[in-house]
Amino acid sequence: MSSATPSPVPSSAHGHHKRHSILPAVSQSGPKPPVQFSSSCTIADSALLTGPHTIIVSTESVIHPRARLESLGGRVTVGRRCIVHERACLGAADLQGRYHKGSPDKEGRSMGAVTLGDYVTVEVGAQVESGGTVIGEGTTVGIGTRVGAGAVVGKHCTLTANSTVAAGEVIPDYTVIYSNGLRRIDRRGVSDLKNKAQARQIDVLRRMIPSNPGKFQ
Amino acid sequence: MSRRPPRGEYIETDTGNKVARKATLVGTQNIMLGGKTVIQPDVMIRGDLARTIPPAQSASGGPANNTAVAIGRYCFLSRGCCLRPPGRMYKGVFTFMPLRLGDHVFVGPGTVVQAAQIGNHVHIGGKVVIGEFAIIKDYVKVLDGSVVPPNMVIPSFSIVAGQPARIIGEIPEGGIEAFELRDLYKTVGNNPQPTAP
Repeated sequence: MSSATPSPVPSSAHGHHKRHSILPAVSQSGPKPPVQFSSSCTIADSALLTGPHTIIVSTESVIHPRARLESLGGRVTVGRRCIVHERACLGAADLQGRYHKGSPDKEGRSMGAVTLGDYVTVEVGAQVESGGTVIGEGTTVGIGTRVGAGAVVGKHCTLTANSTVAAGEVIPDYTVIYSNGLRRIDRRGVSDLKNKAQARQIDVLRRMIPSNPGKFQ
Repeated sequence: MSRRPPRGEYIETDTGNKVARKATLVGTQNIMLGGKTVIQPDVMIRGDLARTIPPAQSASGGPANNTAVAIGRYCFLSRGCCLRPPGRMYKGVFTFMPLRLGDHVFVGPGTVVQAAQIGNHVHIGGKVVIGEFAIIKDYVKVLDGSVVPPNMVIPSFSIVAGQPARIIGEIPEGGIEAFELRDLYKTVGNNPQPTAP
């Protein structure tokens, strides 16, 4: 991925007004995917969307700069009010570099590569592998977490930082994965509060991140 | 015709900051670099996630000083690390709080830092995750691969490791000099000086 010439040399640390972001340009590596964006979603300008399959981003979801959505294994669906942080990758290849295609479900329709429910948060650097992976509603995929291909993560789960979900694993609802693979059930009953907090966060993020969905359409 | 010097990998500012051209700094108006700080390629600093509510009734000054990330002197941000301000609900509104790094802070490669405050002379290893609103005091060593949970306070002079991070030791009496990053600063940049023998 080549970087074009960046913006001019920044002035010193206490320089005033005319400072630009230093964002090395990202060249579009790979095919431009067909997209279906809701009108109220926020897609940062330097998000990376590649792949031949469709990418769907639903109402009020936020995609931070430098997030990657790859539809090489199938369609990527982001639910409503999701937040995808920078350097997260939806539809990633597994550790051997293969992009899995999901096996078809009971009715024979093909599962998309990655499906995120509503109110999901995918944090910095998380890798959600492609291949019919489903992340349930309200789940938080922590920093640096790797969710294996075809895994089905339940609703309102919390995957803490640097955890791993094996390929094809099914995680029940309200599970917390912490430390080195330990699991427990979250009995706090705060799902509604978390959803409300996520909605508030999205209100703020929508004003902070300049959205440019037209670039990808 | 004057010959332009070849484009180096780093941009060197007049305060001595060395910022790699391939680093991603979003919202540089809200990023304060102390001076003599090194930012290696593939580093990402989110300065755009700044606090939304003004800190006080700003009768003074037009453009409010809205620092999202403040970095001290002689800091070293290794490749691929990510600094982003922590955020939480405050008085009914979601807001981001400033991330403050002290002087002589070494951040290892691939680390994600979402702390509220990091003190002086801190060494953070590679692939570390520092959770939101963690507070790290001075002279702390965080070993590689640790995960510091949110809201943790790490006292001075401790050595921290594990997932979740626990204090596993103390910095010995003679170990303080190892935190100085002045020599490391000189080895990086467009004209790197060789390390002292």
